[in-house]
Amino acid sequence: MAPVVQVDQLGKQFGEVRALDRVSFDVEAGEWIAIMGPSGSGKTTLINILGGLDHPTAGRVVVDGLEIGTLGERELTRYRADKIGFVFQQFHLVSYLTALENVMLAQYFHSITDEKEAAAALDRVGLADRLDHVPAELSGGEQQRVAIARALINHPKVILADEPTGNLDEANELVVLKLLHELHEAGHTILVVTHSQAIGNLADRRVELEHGRLARISVPSLAKE
Amino acid sequence: MASRSMFLRILWKLLGASRGRLTVALIALTSGAAICSALLNVNLDAERKLTQEFRTLGANVVIAPPAAGSEASLADAAVLDRIAELHIPQIAAMAPYLYVAANSGSQPVILAGTWFDQLARMNSWWKLEGGLVSSRADHEHCLVGFNAARQLGLAPGSLVQLRSGDRTISLTVAGIVTTGAAEDNQILTNLDSAQTLAGLSGRVTVAQLSVSGTTAEIESVTRQLANALPELDVRPVRQIAAAQGTILGRIQGLIFWTIALILILSMLGVLASMAALAMERRSDVGLMKALGGTVPRIMRLFLAEAGALGALGGIFGFLFGVVLARWIGQRIFGVVISARLEVLPITIALTIAVALAGAFPLRLLGRVRPAEILRGE
Repeated sequence: MAPVVQVDQLGKQFGEVRALDRVSFDVEAGEWIAIMGPSGSGKTTLINILGGLDHPTAGRVVVDGLEIGTLGERELTRYRADKIGFVFQQFHLVSYLTALENVMLAQYFHSITDEKEAAAALDRVGLADRLDHVPAELSGGEQQRVAIARALINHPKVILADEPTGNLDEANELVVLKLLHELHEAGHTILVVTHSQAIGNLADRRVELEHGRLARISVPSLAKE
Repeated sequence: MASRSMFLRILWKLLGASRGRLTVALIALTSGAAICSALLNVNLDAERKLTQEFRTLGANVVIAPPAAGSEASLADAAVLDRIAELHIPQIAAMAPYLYVAANSGSQPVILAGTWFDQLARMNSWWKLEGGLVSSRADHEHCLVGFNAARQLGLAPGSLVQLRSGDRTISLTVAGIVTTGAAEDNQILTNLDSAQTLAGLSGRVTVAQLSVSGTTAEIESVTRQLANALPELDVRPVRQIAAAQGTILGRIQGLIFWTIALILILSMLGVLASMAALAMERRSDVGLMKALGGTVPRIMRLFLAEAGALGALGGIFGFLFGVVLARWIGQRIFGVVISARLEVLPITIALTIAVALAGAFPLRLLGRVRPAEILRGE
C-alpha cells in the first residue's frame, strides 16, 4: 500500500531564505510522526505545505494520491476541506461562535452541517457540557479540545498539529496528549510539529529538521517497546 | 437546507459580534437613507406642490380680443360665462378686467374694473394697507395702487371721484395695494362701476385665468379654451410657465445631486467602519480559508452582513425620511407631504448598494493568505 504522505526532495525558498532544502520522507497510514527541530528549522513551513496553505518551490508532495504542488487555489481549498484536519498552537477558534458552531463551521465549508455529529465530536473530546460556550468562556485546554474536535469532524486523511500543547499548562497538555494518543490508536495519521520531547517520544517516528534540511529520522524508544 | 441554516446562524453571530462598528455603519446608512427618502418623497410631490405655489403668483393664461387695447377690440363680458360653462377643473380663478382712462381731479389715472373676490384668490402675495374688498358686488369701495395713492394723495378711508368724459363715480378707498406690477399705478374697482364710468356696459378688455397643473396641463387647458373661444386669443403667460419648468428642473437637479452626495458621504462612513472591521476579521478569514472555505463562500457571509445592514438602514431611513419629508413639506410648502410607498424599495435598494460599496474593505479579505494569518503575521 502506498504511503499516505510522500515528501520528495521538497524545497521552499522565501526570497533569499531557503526554508526547506531537499527534504524527503514518507508517512504510512495510521502513523504518528513528530516533526522536531530548533526554531527556524522549517517545521511550520513543512506543515503549511503539507496542509496546502503554502506552495513548494521545489520537489513534490503527494497526500492521499494528490500532488499538492500542482493544485490551483480552488483545488487546494477543496483539498484542505477534504483531506486535512488542522490543530494550531493558538487554537484559532472563531470568537463569536460557540464550541458547537466552531465545529460545525468546518462541516459548513466541507459539505453540510450536522449538529448531532458535531455535538458527538465534542463529547468525544470531553466537552459535552460546553457546547454552547464561546471560546472566551473556555480554558486553553478546552479550546484546544474544541480545535481537535473540529479537526476530526470531516474525517480527514491526515491531522496536522502545529505545537498543539505550546500554549497549555501541564495538566491540559496531558489531556491533549491523551487525545492525540487515542486518535492514533483509532488509526488516524497524525503529523505533529513540536519542541516537546514528551510528544516526540509518543510518536512512531521523529522527523528532525535543522536549517531546513532533514537531519535524521529516528524511532523513539517508547515506540520501539 | 442545513447549510442555509448554518449560513444564517453565522450571519446572525457576525451581526452580533461587531455591534459597535456595525452600529456606526448603520447610523451612517440610516442617516443617508433618511435624507434620500425625504428628498425622494419631496421630489415626487415637488411638481404638484410647486404648481400649487405658482398658482398663487397670479394669472398664467390671458384671454383677449385679437388686438387688445383699442375700444374696437373689447370682448363681450359674457365670455366669462362661456368659460364657466366649460367646467374645466384646472381653472382655479378667473377675473375679467376693463381698463378705463379716467381722471381724478386734474390727474390722469387708469381705472381697472374687475371681480374683487377672484382678485384675492389670484394675487395672494399682494401687500395690503387698510382693508380688502372681497365682494364682487361692492360698488362703493376701491383699492388703490401704491404709486397712484401717493400721486393722488389717497389713504384708506379717502374719497376719490373719478371722471371719464362726462361720467363720474365716487369711491371710498378701502386699501392701498403694493403689487410690484402695473396695478401699483391703477385704481381697482368693481367691474360694473368701471363699465358705467366708461359707458361700456357688458364689455371687458381681457380675462385673466389662474390654471393649476403642470406646464403640459396648462397648455392642454389653453388649447381647450382656444377651441371653445375661436374669436379670441387664448395665450399662456410664457414667462411663468417657462420659469416653472426651469425652477422644477433646477429643484429636481438639486435633489438628485444632493442624494448622490449624501449617498457618497454615507458610503464613506460605512467604508471607515468596514475598514476597521476588516482588520478585526483577518484572522477569522484566514482560519475559514484554512478550514476549506472558498473565497466566494466566505465573502457571501460578509456581503450578506453588509446587505442586511443596508436593508435595515433603508427601512429605518425610509421611516425617518417620511417624518423629515413631512417637516420639509410643512416648513417649505406649507402642506403635508404624504409618504409615498414607491420610495421604500428605492431607498432600500440605494442603501443596500451603498452598504455593499462601503463593504469594499471586507472584499479585500479574500486576498488574505491563511499561512501568514495562522503564523500570527
